[in-house]
Amino acid sequence: MLLTKKSGAASAHPRSPFVHSLQRGLTSAIPTMDRRAFLRRSGLGVGVGIAAGSLTLVKKAKAADGKGPAVGEGRIEVKRTVCSHCSVGCAIDAVVENGVWVRQEPVFDSPINLGAHCAKGAAIREHGHGEFRLRYPMKLVDGKYVRIPWDQAYNEIVARLNEIRKASGPDAVYWIGSSKHNNEQAYLMRKFVSLYGSNNCDHQARICHSTTVAGVANTWGYGAMTNSYNDMQNSKAALYIGSNAAEAHPVSMLHMLHAKETGTKMIVVDPRFTRTAAKSDQYVRIRSGSDIPFLFGVLYHVFKNGWEDKKYLNDRVFGMDKVREDVMAKWTPDKVEEACGVPEAEVFKVAQTMAMNRPSTIVWCMGQTQHTIGNAMVRASCILQLALGNIGVSGGGANIFRGHDNVQGATDVGPNPDSLPGYYGIVEGSWRHFARVWGVDYDWIKGRFSNPGMMSKPGITVSRWIDGILEKNEMIDQDPNLKAVVFWGHAPNSQTRGLEMKKAMDKLDLLVVIDPYPSATAAMAAMPGKPEDQNPNRGVYLLPAATQFETSGSVTASNRSIQWREKVIEPLWESRSDHMIMYQLADKLGFGKELVKNYKMQKVKGMDEPVPEDILREINKSVWTIGYTGQSPERLKAHMKLMAHFDVKTLKAKASVKDPVTGYDIAGDYFGLPWPCFGNPELKHPGSPNLYDTTKHVMDGGGCFRANFGVEKDGVNLLAEDGSHSVGSDITTGYPEVDHVFVKKLGWWNELTPAEQALAEGKNWKTDPSGGLIRVVMKNHGVHPFGNAKARAVVWNFPDPIPQHREALYSTRPDLVAKYPSHDDKKAFWRLPTLYKTLQQQNIADKLHEKFPLILTSGRLVEYEGGGEETRANPWLAELQQEAYVEINPKTAAARNIRNGDRVWLKSPTGAQLNVQAMVTERVGPDTVWMPFHFSGRWQGADMLAYYPSGAAPVVRGEAVNTATTYGYDSVTMMQETKTTICNVEKVA
Amino acid sequence: MARMKFICDSERCIECNSCVTACKNEHEVPWGVNRRRVVTLNDGVPGERSVSVACMHCSDAPCMAVCPVNCFYRTEEGVVLHDKDTCIGCGYCSYACPFGAPQFPAAGTFGVRGKMDKCTFCAGGPEAHGSQAEFEKYGRNRLAEGKLPACAEMCSTKALLGGDGDVVADIFRNRVLKRGKGAEVWGWGTAYGSKQAGQPQGAKS
Amino acid sequence: QSNASAPAGGGASTTTSAPATPADDPAPATGGIQGQNIFDVKPEVKRDASSEAGYMQQSNGQRNAVQPGNNSPMWRDVKNGVTGFTTLPYPEAGNLIQGQVQYPGSKFTTAGEAWRQVRNHWIVPYGGALLLIVVLALAIFYFTKGKLGHADVTAGTGRIERFTPFERAAHWSNAIAFVILAVSGIIMAFGKFFLLPVIGQTLFGYFTYLLKNLHNFVGPLFVVSLVIIFLTFLRDNFPQRGDLRWLVKLGGLMGKGPEVPSHRFNAGEKAVFWGGVFLLGTIVVASGLVLDKLLPGLLYERATMQQAHMIHAVAAMLMMAVFLGHIYIGTIGMRGAYGAMRRGYVGEEWAREHHEYWYEDIKAGKIPAQRSKAMTIVDDTQRVRPV
Ligand SMILES: Nc1nc2c(c(=O)[nH]1)N[C@H]1C(S)=C(S)[C@@H](COP(=O)(O)OP(=O)(O)OC[C@H]3O[C@@H](n4cnc5c(=O)[nH]c(N)nc54)[C@H](O)[C@@H]3O)O[C@H]1N2
Ligand SMILES: Nc1nc2c(c(=O)[nH]1)N[C@H]1C(S)=C(S)[C@@H](COP(=O)(O)OP(=O)(O)OC[C@H]3O[C@@H](n4cnc5c(=O)[nH]c(N)nc54)[C@H](O)[C@@H]3O)O[C@H]1N2
Ligand code: HEM
Ligand code: HEM
Ligand code: SF4
Ligand code: SF4
Ligand code: SF4
Ligand code: SF4
Ligand code: SF4
Ligand SMILES: [Mo]
Repeated sequence: MLLTKKSGAASAHPRSPFVHSLQRGLTSAIPTMDRRAFLRRSGLGVGVGIAAGSLTLVKKAKAADGKGPAVGEGRIEVKRTVCSHCSVGCAIDAVVENGVWVRQEPVFDSPINLGAHCAKGAAIREHGHGEFRLRYPMKLVDGKYVRIPWDQAYNEIVARLNEIRKASGPDAVYWIGSSKHNNEQAYLMRKFVSLYGSNNCDHQARICHSTTVAGVANTWGYGAMTNSYNDMQNSKAALYIGSNAAEAHPVSMLHMLHAKETGTKMIVVDPRFTRTAAKSDQYVRIRSGSDIPFLFGVLYHVFKNGWEDKKYLNDRVFGMDKVREDVMAKWTPDKVEEACGVPEAEVFKVAQTMAMNRPSTIVWCMGQTQHTIGNAMVRASCILQLALGNIGVSGGGANIFRGHDNVQGATDVGPNPDSLPGYYGIVEGSWRHFARVWGVDYDWIKGRFSNPGMMSKPGITVSRWIDGILEKNEMIDQDPNLKAVVFWGHAPNSQTRGLEMKKAMDKLDLLVVIDPYPSATAAMAAMPGKPEDQNPNRGVYLLPAATQFETSGSVTASNRSIQWREKVIEPLWESRSDHMIMYQLADKLGFGKELVKNYKMQKVKGMDEPVPEDILREINKSVWTIGYTGQSPERLKAHMKLMAHFDVKTLKAKASVKDPVTGYDIAGDYFGLPWPCFGNPELKHPGSPNLYDTTKHVMDGGGCFRANFGVEKDGVNLLAEDGSHSVGSDITTGYPEVDHVFVKKLGWWNELTPAEQALAEGKNWKTDPSGGLIRVVMKNHGVHPFGNAKARAVVWNFPDPIPQHREALYSTRPDLVAKYPSHDDKKAFWRLPTLYKTLQQQNIADKLHEKFPLILTSGRLVEYEGGGEETRANPWLAELQQEAYVEINPKTAAARNIRNGDRVWLKSPTGAQLNVQAMVTERVGPDTVWMPFHFSGRWQGADMLAYYPSGAAPVVRGEAVNTATTYGYDSVTMMQETKTTICNVEKVA
Repeated sequence: MARMKFICDSERCIECNSCVTACKNEHEVPWGVNRRRVVTLNDGVPGERSVSVACMHCSDAPCMAVCPVNCFYRTEEGVVLHDKDTCIGCGYCSYACPFGAPQFPAAGTFGVRGKMDKCTFCAGGPEAHGSQAEFEKYGRNRLAEGKLPACAEMCSTKALLGGDGDVVADIFRNRVLKRGKGAEVWGWGTAYGSKQAGQPQGAKS
Repeated sequence: QSNASAPAGGGASTTTSAPATPADDPAPATGGIQGQNIFDVKPEVKRDASSEAGYMQQSNGQRNAVQPGNNSPMWRDVKNGVTGFTTLPYPEAGNLIQGQVQYPGSKFTTAGEAWRQVRNHWIVPYGGALLLIVVLALAIFYFTKGKLGHADVTAGTGRIERFTPFERAAHWSNAIAFVILAVSGIIMAFGKFFLLPVIGQTLFGYFTYLLKNLHNFVGPLFVVSLVIIFLTFLRDNFPQRGDLRWLVKLGGLMGKGPEVPSHRFNAGEKAVFWGGVFLLGTIVVASGLVLDKLLPGLLYERATMQQAHMIHAVAAMLMMAVFLGHIYIGTIGMRGAYGAMRRGYVGEEWAREHHEYWYEDIKAGKIPAQRSKAMTIVDDTQRVRPV
């Protein structure tokens, strides 16, 4: 006896917007990705559906304050937003009923993710519950967090800030911004710190891709992924080195696996056999920290077999001959095998695959960046790609997968200690440029700094703020030590030397955490430390920030496409959006008016909040360098609505379609106007899908290498050779970047309107506020404003102009340290003394490698993100990873009598002891152990639950690997060494 | 009428667990109940493959056959559903199911389990389509809304296909022909019988 | 070499099984097929791949190296129920498909299916048939032979205390628990065939839900009372002189003649005691405790539960069959028996007729006629008075 429906079988209703988007599905042009046809043919698309509007959406998700509307009487809206967990930038349709986020639907229309998500994106709606979030401002009183009103919090914080400023000057405060902020907030943050009178600000990019940005920008111009996830479908071979995309950028695998099905060869080089490796055609296990020997080992075979692209090298690359000499001499197969452990045949096979299957692309990520020589490692990758002629080529490129959802954007326009938005260096010209855009007086800004010299001195980096507190005052390169730290969307357990961080936190006068999930920092601050470190007058404040779903704004994905997030819900509990807090805090600090001069205000919960669109317009007016000028809010919004009309492979609009609201026609555009999108929005530059691509007209997103390093070096021409210009350029030789003189010389000055001329006089393309220079050279002459030069295989301004392998400071291999020693120590580097060789030698002398014979490396789990407090507070994710663990090879485990699932102590030279679970697995080799870095909430074996603000502890807590990670910083960017250190593991007795 | 089936393409699945959380999200499934899970074989060594598994909505469903109260039923689309009102929580379906699909909210002593829960193919339960009661007991009814399973729709790599057996097979065929390998469809033999597996439509149901 | 691009043994979990078919067909046409090459797209075969040494012993990685996309070694493992990795920390979450077994009476197939076959093809139909047959047989017996015995329980002079209040309390609590368990068990096993069509899905569901939970909670009570019963009646259930003769003549109950003499319990009762109470009881109780997840230290995986269930169900059916007989004799089947257990006292006449040796022993003073302390037993019928 079978049951039938009790009642109410669905009847035919008009088609819902979902049904429509379902039917669009995946484009049928791509057979192995197809789902659109599927949905159509499943017979479900039409007729059977209940329209979203008439459907009674039911929900358990009550509004935060508990006054959720009764079921079925709600007004249903669909808000399009973007996942906030990683740089892939997956679009999400949030279904909101009477202000409650009740459902989430895939956006099949998105050319980036075609509806797909990873665990985090598919669980994003939990942000609408926010059960474990900080609900209201809190203050640490006698070791416990107590609730206080916003105004009290502001008043007390501001009083303390003013006190500190008075006593020690503006440099005594350290502002840790966030790559979680949208572009508008990140930009406003830099503006905020600038108007506060300091360069002491930073964000996650420092400990993420700073080495990439520096290395890549110095090689060919821009510090960004050159192509896109989508473009990887055009690759014939892909080398993933130091990227575990299957866990860290899962949806990128949608494109790669599709490519694989059409014949792309995939190689993975990693100390671990990762989920990405499982999908590869060839997996190569290297020793952590030995990427240069491997890459140059590959390059050795390329040169040896004459596989390099000679014409390309001649026309577009500087210095490869020098590199060649170095590589052929130093990286013979035996040396390569000695240093990275890979035998010649395997290295040869990689070289052959990459050379024989062009265009071939390279993907790298944290495996390369997080080293004391990260800047050199990433350049070795660039050099390999240059040698193969793969840069500026669709299907080739350096596909550098970025990290946080908006780390690209925050790097581009956000709180960097050494630059203003758009990588404008902190020199007077840039300050003046921005003073003008902000509408504030340059001298007033200057007066805000402790002295004019500090205006052009790069600030301390987030990787080392603790040394700004702990280092002796005479050793640091600024007047005061740091007295206050503001964590504005950054976790503590993501930085190394956690034990010392605890000490630094205790010494502070003021700690402010502005975050929806400030709990990791909060617990660490509240946990009793050593009494002698404790500052009795310390103030600790927690302010609840709104998430990215409680505000609107733009976010830059890894491929430089910019997407607009609509506000999904109003800020939950008492939280406020970051830009509102910035405004309110600035107001109390006395520079509120200056901060928001160009913005209209909107009311949110009855309070003034700067309109994000206006902030974006200000960005549009100022950030010429990297082409953040064309992406007006209107264009971005039109793209979000018309996603369906962009091609999945090329990202180009397939037809001319008009957005009904703005009337904007997307014809010719690339999805999200990937930067550089030059000129004013009216120029209608379509964005640049692949950087440095000479096969396209500059007005179609084409380009060439940037002329950023002069026109010649040591008598060698640095500009591109004749004929290697982008299609349709009036200048067929290499040329320098464009300024008023250059344009006049060429006789194009009169093509500027008189108004433009007035503004452009005496300016270059980066400072011309009219955009006229750009318009004329690009549109009228096909000329690239940043010039046409050669990429640099030799970056002479770096410590190692040709990338050199150097062993990590903490190494298990004294023999290799002897051969490949680290740099000399630096005295004042980003305002701090920095150790290299002395520490390395000391470690060898102390025989640390005997006490800690295992390489400790760390990385990501697909379920968790960053420091993890946010994702570990999401029960849908937390259930999937309930224990911090360490991966140990069966051999290593057997030697220590450790079985799978045992509790073990992981000990490191920092003195840390981590009590974690052992996962005995062949994912790692016998010399290496690996830990995910997303855990916090347990400290050297003890649970920190008691120190959390009540109700704001995450569901899962575990030991943070970064209490075990050691000293070590990149010699250019201060990137922390998180990928190669040493440890030992023993069974918990 | 279409015969609903799942295919999980192990050549594509990357164990991202999106299918798992998508399901939790869409149906607000509580902690401890996992309608879908992802399993990796040969973990960490060459030859590693992952497969996502939930109820396969078998043609000759063992769960249905052993249920003491006959609370299972099959929809016209071949989806195997059950009635939580009459389920007695005996666990027999979970002993019988080859795939470990049936889940129980409690795992206490005295054989206490609570009402069985399993993947509904996002097709709700016996209550009225889209009703509050249906949602609270079975989660959302996407099929009635003209949508396909949330897990398959959000799969990061489109490894997981769910829908009309003919169509998913077609899509999969395209893929297999293109790559020339990996034609194995996991679980079909067991779930749908060996004969009909190639002909998704021919179902004794 | 240190670089694991060559497969390193295929991992701990991948012991390849014996070859299925020479062609290494990933989907041999036996029961419990897990996967199928549904389009006949054969994996890219490098020439001579299958002639590689140890082709059939290859791990999945090794096989992939010579035949990309051929995952037969893995599917074979899966079919055999190998447990893979999963992030969910729950037992058996890493198992994709239950391993292949052959339970008595089933085909060699996935465990779940095998269990289903055993339950649905054997336990339910034959168990049901057994119970029906027993009931039928007892009915026939009753209608042909009528009640056994002659003496009424109070017949004859004297009052002999056959069961002390404690014994009776133990027995009846046990009996009540048993009846509840049996009824609920029967509804679980067979209710859908006879009750569901009558009372409908909803009512049947609620009713069975109640009974199921009753079963689960009464089970442990039954365990306790069974132990007490066992210990209480153990002494008088050891084999004694004359038991064999009783057995050989079946107590003489079938014939017309007098009953074969027996001690306090006759051999038939002893058989029930040992076979029914002790043997089947232990089995039912032990397996029941497993099904109730009450035994500590067990993992309670599906295989455990299936096996416990099959044992439980078979033993329970047999036990019900046995105790149907016992109950029959104890109620309408034999004159006076019920009264003996109901009130605890029998008349001398009854005692002599049914348990002659016992009677003699009492008469000889070897066994006291009154074992419980003299006390007032308030009986609803007021038929038994203080001695
Ligand atoms: N699920 C999830 N996704 C994320 C994030 C997250 O937290 N969770 N974070 C985002 C962020 S901020 C970032 S930056 C990206 C990072 O993305 P990835 O860099 O891809 O992630 P990781 O796991 O940190 O590191 C990648 C691999 O580097 C390997 N590795 C370690 N040492 C070395 C080495 O010396 N050489 C080489 N070649 N490889 C090495 C590790 O074994 C690891 O598998 O992910 C983003 N996406
Ligand atoms: N050992 C080891 N350490 C590492 C790494 C590693 O691989 N190994 N990776 C490094 C890398 S690449 C990175 S990027 C870092 C990541 O580390 P973090 O960026 O420090 O980690 P998250 O937890 O992502 O921190 C982001 C914080 O921002 C908050 N947040 C989210 N949205 C908003 C918002 O809208 N406003 C505000 N105000 N706050 C918000 C979150 O709640 C969270 O507390 O870790 C680094 N540390
Ligand atoms: C001796 C008396 C008992 C009888 C006659 C009996 C009978 C049965 C029967 C017929 C079934 C159903 C089998 C099926 O549907 O396939 C069953 C199931 C079960 N029995 Fe018993 N049983 C008895 C004692 C016990 C005891 C002592 C326990 C526990 C301590 C127990 C626990 C269970 C459990 C847990 C089940 C599984 C069904 C469920 O969980 O609802 N039983 N029993
Ligand atoms: C409704 C159910 C039952 C009835 C009506 C019943 C009836 C009786 C009666 C009348 C006697 C006394 C026989 C005599 O005087 O020799 C007896 C004895 C006994 N009964 Fe029951 N009984 C029932 C259920 C059970 C059950 C479920 C068990 C145990 C599993 C059980 C175990 C015993 C034992 C152990 C004796 C003592 C005889 C011996 O040890 O051999 N009875 N029962
Ligand atoms: S975390 Fe990254 S890959 Fe996953 S859904 Fe979000 S944006 Fe997409
Ligand atoms: S997979 Fe299991 S639960 Fe689903 S229909 Fe088949 S036997 Fe039933
Ligand atoms: S647990 Fe519920 S659905 Fe499963 S067999 Fe028992 S009664 Fe049927
Ligand atoms: S079909 Fe629906 S119910 Fe089933 S696993 Fe997928 S999301 Fe969950
Ligand atoms: S979502 Fe897709 S790729 Fe991810 S685990 Fe599930 S089936 Fe595999
Ligand atoms: Mo990052």
